[in-house]
Amino acid sequence: MRNISLRLLLVASLVALSLTLALGHEGHHAECNETAVNALKADIQAMGEGEAKATATKELDEAQRMMAKNDMEGCKSHIHSAMEATEK
Amino acid sequence: MSAGRRWGLLAGALLVLAATMVIYAGLYNIAADVPHTPPVYWLLETIRDRSVAARSRDIAAPEDLDDANRISKGAGQYAEMCSGCHLAPGMKRTEISRGLYPRAPELRHKTDLTPAEQFWIVKHGVKMTGMPAWGITHDDDLLWDVVAFVRKLPELTPEQYDSLVKNAPKHEELMQEMEMGSAHEHSAEHQ
Repeated sequence: MRNISLRLLLVASLVALSLTLALGHEGHHAECNETAVNALKADIQAMGEGEAKATATKELDEAQRMMAKNDMEGCKSHIHSAMEATEK
Repeated sequence: MSAGRRWGLLAGALLVLAATMVIYAGLYNIAADVPHTPPVYWLLETIRDRSVAARSRDIAAPEDLDDANRISKGAGQYAEMCSGCHLAPGMKRTEISRGLYPRAPELRHKTDLTPAEQFWIVKHGVKMTGMPAWGITHDDDLLWDVVAFVRKLPELTPEQYDSLVKNAPKHEELMQEMEMGSAHEHSAEHQ
């Protein structure tokens, strides 16, 4: 009985954790394609000069480099970082 | 005609011909999901900034832009007319703000624009940006209320913004007041 309760608790914790992670990423659904890159370029153009713009530009350049190498996961990661920088 | 001048004229004619071909062949992509190249963006931005500066030079801002009543009136109008594109503290990006090109500036960030420049932009709008000319439907006093609020916006927390908007006079009421005011002015003029 105690084992079952512990297992249930473990399963519930794992479900809660994955839901939290999914919701955390909901705001920044990063995709690696030309549309996403162009949208980010437009966002960056509209930013005022400063650290956030420099970071976003650098991350976007990295994302494009990864895209050219067909490393889609690396590209998504940099797109995500660039998106975060544009919102500062 | 000297040889130098002849070559200059030929180069000018070729440039005009090339530009005409680019325009009429539809080579420049005007899609809003493909950004301008940096030189074109710089050119358009500079034209816009210089145009606004030149045309707002003689506008005198009212002295009461810090007035709480003005800011409150501006808050309701901002929430109704502007926040969909320019967003607000604590507000997520909207579909329209993500799709506009050039992007509408997020007004929670501080700006270098003077009150007169902001008023001019709100009143006359900006061509090919999606920014409407609110002066067609609103009088100057209402537009200065918006400017007063926009200048206050970067200081506001999301809670302060929500509270100001919640307690602000409704946009429709302000419009009715404005229309009644102008109706009075018209009847006084005709007397």
